[in-house]
Amino acid sequence: MDEVLLRLEGAWIGYGGRAVVRAASLPLRRQEFVVIAGPNGSGKTTLLRALAGLQPLLGGTLRMHAGARVGYVPQRERIDPLVPLRAEHVAALGLYGELRPWQLAGRPERARVHEALVRCHAADLARRPWRVLSAGQRQRVLIARALVARPDVLLLDEPTAGLDPATELEIVAMLDDLRDREGMAICMVTHQLEPLVGRATRVLRVEKGEVTSETRAA
Amino acid sequence: MSDALPYYLSSEFLFRNALGGGLLVGVVCAVLGVYVVLRRLELLGVALPQASAAGIALSFWASGHSHAVTHEGHGVALLGALGGAFGCLLLLALVRRSPLPPESRVAALYALASAATILFIASNPAGDVELTSLFRGDLLSISDRDLARLVFLATGVGVVFFAFRREILLASVDPEFARTLGKDPARADALLYALLGVAISLGVMCAGPLVVFGFLTLPALAALRVAPTLAIAFAIAAAIAVGASLGGFFLAYRLDLPAGPVEIVASALPWAVIVAASTVRGRRAARLATLAVALAALLGAGPLGCARLLGDGAAAQTPPDPALRGSFPALAPGASVAVLPVRNETGEPLRLAAPNPLADLRRAVGDPFAPPSATVPDALTTITAAELSRRGVPVRAPEDVRRAFPSAPAAAPAAVVTARSAGIAGPLLVSTLRRYRFGESKLLLVHLDLELLDVDEGRLLWSGSARRPIPLQAALTDTEVLIDAAKPLFDEALGTR
Repeated sequence: MDEVLLRLEGAWIGYGGRAVVRAASLPLRRQEFVVIAGPNGSGKTTLLRALAGLQPLLGGTLRMHAGARVGYVPQRERIDPLVPLRAEHVAALGLYGELRPWQLAGRPERARVHEALVRCHAADLARRPWRVLSAGQRQRVLIARALVARPDVLLLDEPTAGLDPATELEIVAMLDDLRDREGMAICMVTHQLEPLVGRATRVLRVEKGEVTSETRAA
Repeated sequence: MSDALPYYLSSEFLFRNALGGGLLVGVVCAVLGVYVVLRRLELLGVALPQASAAGIALSFWASGHSHAVTHEGHGVALLGALGGAFGCLLLLALVRRSPLPPESRVAALYALASAATILFIASNPAGDVELTSLFRGDLLSISDRDLARLVFLATGVGVVFFAFRREILLASVDPEFARTLGKDPARADALLYALLGVAISLGVMCAGPLVVFGFLTLPALAALRVAPTLAIAFAIAAAIAVGASLGGFFLAYRLDLPAGPVEIVASALPWAVIVAASTVRGRRAARLATLAVALAALLGAGPLGCARLLGDGAAAQTPPDPALRGSFPALAPGASVAVLPVRNETGEPLRLAAPNPLADLRRAVGDPFAPPSATVPDALTTITAAELSRRGVPVRAPEDVRRAFPSAPAAAPAAVVTARSAGIAGPLLVSTLRRYRFGESKLLLVHLDLELLDVDEGRLLWSGSARRPIPLQAALTDTEVLIDAAKPLFDEALGTR
């Protein structure tokens, strides 16, 4: 439980040399469920992107436990509905980091994709075209895509934004289940704290680019 | 068909290279075109072929070549095409941080490339022919070596595309996720653009910018409307390209139209059918059914058309009779035609090898007393007179004409003025050779215009033209080419037999 998988220390993060987040420190431990909350434009997404390694640091350090893998679920899915992909194909994108150029996805790889979809309660969506899926269904498939890459840390940027309350609760329960059963560290950005009551182990509040408070679950 | 197939692939099949080259260009462009459409790069799909065409025009202008059948000419074309396409990509990469939208930058490059193409062509002595060749798509001039080069490069593009298909897909659908998997989407983008650059360069060299743009967009548009997966989209786009190449080639041949535009229209057919069918209820089934019908029609038209085109092997060697274009008119009793020296507007000297190689050697070392070398226009002047005589048209003695016209007149009005001052009455035949190429493909690509002028009244009595490629399988020397080509050339130009 105390094993730190990802640690951000004294990080200054920004764009074009201008810091958006200042002096942020955040350790992510195995089986933690960390929530980053705060008003719009406060730097939540920037902080999460830095944890995912997508945003270069202006200062400070990002350290990762040897062999730890990071999975990232972006705020808005960017997959163009024009691309003719089925849900299973989108989830299979998570395999692309390890398949060699001439290697075809075999039975074990397909089984991994199916398993990830099952864990995200999306197995019945596998053969459906991406463009016809609802926002909640797409979110499940994107989480499955991240799981296919077998991450130790799962970073999610507002995974429940725009979803109805029931779907929101379902997704949060699913994430909590992943943390609990697989020992994954989960860190998500959200505005909605109610569904996370009793599940989040820590809540960080970010305001004007600074982590202003940290609340630990009892 | 099964017996005929080996024949189609053999070098005896006159159109093997043209068909093979068109197929390769079509399939490669159609497959890559799926990404062009998916990534909304259609504007780049117009600009890159145009930049490639500008590169070809620049290379010919700078090197003094024309869009030739010669190996040297095609090598220069390939270098120019690659230079144009990659120069355009490099320029776009350099200005990628400009505040202007990418579409504006690509549009500006397209405008510049179009203007540059026309300017380089206008500055080239062989510009007129160049323009036609470049923009119509000169598939017929693909030689064995060109085809081998095409196969090699197209295979390379295919292998690289397959090897990096996952990186390209990731970079195209979700570059940020690609980065979390340790992939560099910028590198994958660069690879996709490089593959497009090579494919477009090959395509423009063989088929022209219009054909390349058509194959980059139209098959993909149809495929993406109906394909449930990306792999099936690639397969449908490739199938449409095959059908359009074969069917279009056949139709172009039968209707005597340029192959490139006909192939484009053929490749648009499945898309048009799908769009029309999508207005019907029960759309998916209807769309799939109509796509199947359209593909079957295209694929059927190709092989069946080629089979009809060929008949059997021997018949394939001889294209159908050319259409008669305004037969040479009957002359007034007692009149005879003065056949003027043929004007050379090909931009090339078209020298014939001398029977005695010493004469060539003397000219090469600058001997002022060496006899002048004979040229194709000189030979064609003699052949024109002979072909007219053979058809019963009285011809004025060549010596009389040569005294008044030691060289070809600059233009028809000048010829009339000169003839009047020299006391030559009766009709004058003014001939202009605009194109003359013979290469490995064993096709003589020729364009000869004839004008019959009335000296007394100073008006045009008749005009004729020969433009069809002439297959000459047996000719080995320049002289044999002229002898073998004479009859079909003048059958078409004079509209008589």
